[in-house]
Amino acid sequence: MYSMRGNDDETLDALFRAYREACPTPEASPNFMPTLWARIESRQTFLFSFRRMANACVTAAVALSIALGVYMSIPRSSPGTNPETYIEALADANPLDTPDIVGPVRLDLTGR
Amino acid sequence: MLVDFELIKRAQNRDSAAFNEVVLAYRKRILGTITRLISRSEDVEDVAQEVFLRLYFSLDQLRTPEVFEPWLYRLTVNAAFDYLRKQRRRQEFRMSDLSEQQVLMADATAGSKVEHEEQQKKKTREAVDSLLGAVSEADRILLMLKEVEGLSLKELEKIYKVNENALKVRLFRARQRVLKAFGAAGKKEGPG
Repeated sequence: MYSMRGNDDETLDALFRAYREACPTPEASPNFMPTLWARIESRQTFLFSFRRMANACVTAAVALSIALGVYMSIPRSSPGTNPETYIEALADANPLDTPDIVGPVRLDLTGR
Repeated sequence: MLVDFELIKRAQNRDSAAFNEVVLAYRKRILGTITRLISRSEDVEDVAQEVFLRLYFSLDQLRTPEVFEPWLYRLTVNAAFDYLRKQRRRQEFRMSDLSEQQVLMADATAGSKVEHEEQQKKKTREAVDSLLGAVSEADRILLMLKEVEGLSLKELEKIYKVNENALKVRLFRARQRVLKAFGAAGKKEGPG
């Protein structure tokens, strides 16, 4: 159909020119504008609801952050003295004289 | 420019009547460009509407009305590119479907001169579509804009926002690939 005759480049150029002429410019259908506006409105509705949802999410996130901030900023004090270090806290929780720690080990051999 | 800057500014301010006028002014040109870029007449209108839809929602991003046309071309190119990417599989099917037998059958049915001319045009379209199968969708669009639409390198530079040398290199490579496919097609059909 388009065999190589002469310069390939020139033939290709001619083919491209022929292509331009061979492609008719279609006329827009009568529904072009109504369909376009329908698509615009549909996209607008979607964007509007998406924006509303996004706003609601942002508001909820801000409210949650404030609530969390307030909660974290309230100083929580336990009754009695506050242990200063972890070791002190451990010592307070498990004093050495408690039977659980210093008491004799009891082996339960009754099961056998 | 097919419209004046004032109209574009009004359209930017969400003036529906002005936007309508812009669409009506550029519709034919955009339809023609898309026809040549995607070569599927049944989807041309759909892609054109997508272009104007994108235009509507991004018009406020246009800083100066002077660059409206390259910008609209850019939207057209992007929409055509998205379409071609989606249709890649169908497109490949169409190209493989382009058999000699079909062409012969079409020739046989072409009776009158007008029909014969139509068949010739169809064959030209199919031949170019088939050749452009040798390059990517992006290069196909670039080649089309340069070789078929007749845009200058300066205009392409504005559309692609790439410097002229880079465009020249890309065009040269794409053209070489098409020429290679062209040569291969010539050899295949030449002696027989």
